[in-house]
Amino acid sequence: MGKLVSLWYLLAAVVLTIIWFVVSQLVDLPIIPSPVLVVENLADIFMKYIAIHSLYSLWRIGAGLLLAVAVGLPLGVIMGYFPQTDRFLAPVVYLTYPIPKIALLPILMLLFGVGELSKVFMIFLIIVFQVVVAVRDGIRAIPNETYYPLYSLGASFKDIFFEVLWPASLPKFITAIRVALATAISVLFFTETFGTQYGMGYFIMDAWLRVNYLEMYSGIVVLSLLGLILFTTIDLIERNACHWQYK
Amino acid sequence: MISIENLSVNYKSDSDVYTAISGINLTIPEGGTLAVIGPSGCGKSTLLKAVAGLIPEYDGTIKINGDELNPKKQTIGFMPQNYGLLPWRTVIDNIRLGMKIKRAPELLDRKVLKKLMRQLGIEGLGHRYPAELSGGQQQRVALARVFALQPDVLLMDEPFSALDAITREEMQDVFLKLWQKNNVSTIFVTHYVEEALYLGQRIAILSASSGNINRIVDNPLFGGKDIRQNPEFFEMSLKLKNSIKKDWNQAWEN
Repeated sequence: MGKLVSLWYLLAAVVLTIIWFVVSQLVDLPIIPSPVLVVENLADIFMKYIAIHSLYSLWRIGAGLLLAVAVGLPLGVIMGYFPQTDRFLAPVVYLTYPIPKIALLPILMLLFGVGELSKVFMIFLIIVFQVVVAVRDGIRAIPNETYYPLYSLGASFKDIFFEVLWPASLPKFITAIRVALATAISVLFFTETFGTQYGMGYFIMDAWLRVNYLEMYSGIVVLSLLGLILFTTIDLIERNACHWQYK
Repeated sequence: MISIENLSVNYKSDSDVYTAISGINLTIPEGGTLAVIGPSGCGKSTLLKAVAGLIPEYDGTIKINGDELNPKKQTIGFMPQNYGLLPWRTVIDNIRLGMKIKRAPELLDRKVLKKLMRQLGIEGLGHRYPAELSGGQQQRVALARVFALQPDVLLMDEPFSALDAITREEMQDVFLKLWQKNNVSTIFVTHYVEEALYLGQRIAILSASSGNINRIVDNPLFGGKDIRQNPEFFEMSLKLKNSIKKDWNQAWEN
């Protein structure tokens, strides 16, 4: 099973590279270099220049994600399990959810400065809403019959949380993170184009301004691999934690 | 023993108070079974939920073995309509769940559990998930879960109604065998007169409109051998059905 999946990933990578190669040969301009040259360049400069940038980006995503889970999960559980709090909190969430978070960037930068904090907070803002809504809806979808035998045994909230709320909302929660993460990476790219000298966004834009297309493409490839690593990690976690879903 | 005195339950919505059941008096002796039968909306599920400790606000008293109802003190085995199994737990973990919540590791005897699962014909299914089982098998797991707890009281809400007719009769036999071995005071709600007659020592008929008990019938056929084949069984179920119909028609006309 695992072998088969990685085989498909490999095939996708090969197909994309072939398309890239064909296009580069057809266009024959420096703006689309051949993948062979890019890979050669990447091998040369990865450890020297790119690794540190990718670590910076990874740390920002990780910190924003952790923060979003730490806030979003309890909030979603409370809103899903106690309808009274949902009545009060849902309007707050719904009013703020549709605001394009990138529009808040100037405010975040004024409040938290142009450094790390505003970037991490931006990612937090993008992920947290999806987590809240997904966890809440996941918990709301649990039929009452599931609780009854536990209540009649005198189950505490801790029992209910670990036996029902957590496992029931976990798949929804993971899906929410998967969806939000793609947006988070794009926005991270944008926020890394200023106020920092590190991060994949900085590296790619800097290479572009220096008209070094080989380095720019190397950066794009690394960014794409970064996404791949994040998504496959999430898939693996889901397979292990929610395997009952695949029965 | 379960004793219910003058039990009433009101549901409050923002603007309205709705009486689901009122003035219910019932006693179920130690190790007895009571079938509760009534039309939908008559409050029979409410009655069961109240005894299960799922309704925090009620008037009157519910006592189990002489003590005021308290889910934390007594062991109440509640089997909801759709078995109430957790889809994210394996069969064996579902069965153990009750003991985990009751913090009763002394019941976690592997041999006893194994024997119970063998009696129910679900040995070897321990590591499957509920979604991988048939309806009848899920029902058996739900039975294992409540009986494994050795509860003070067993409550079943429309226990076998989701099953096809043949599986249902089979499960009724399985239940009866287990119940005879364990002798648990049991209340179950049903809308099948035959099920009430087969499994209930006594049968309480709820009235269609007022939310109280219309009458309680002693069931002389209970526990007899192959009573389903007995002409008296047919006769009695017909009689019961007709009297229930009469009551319900009257209720509709009023």
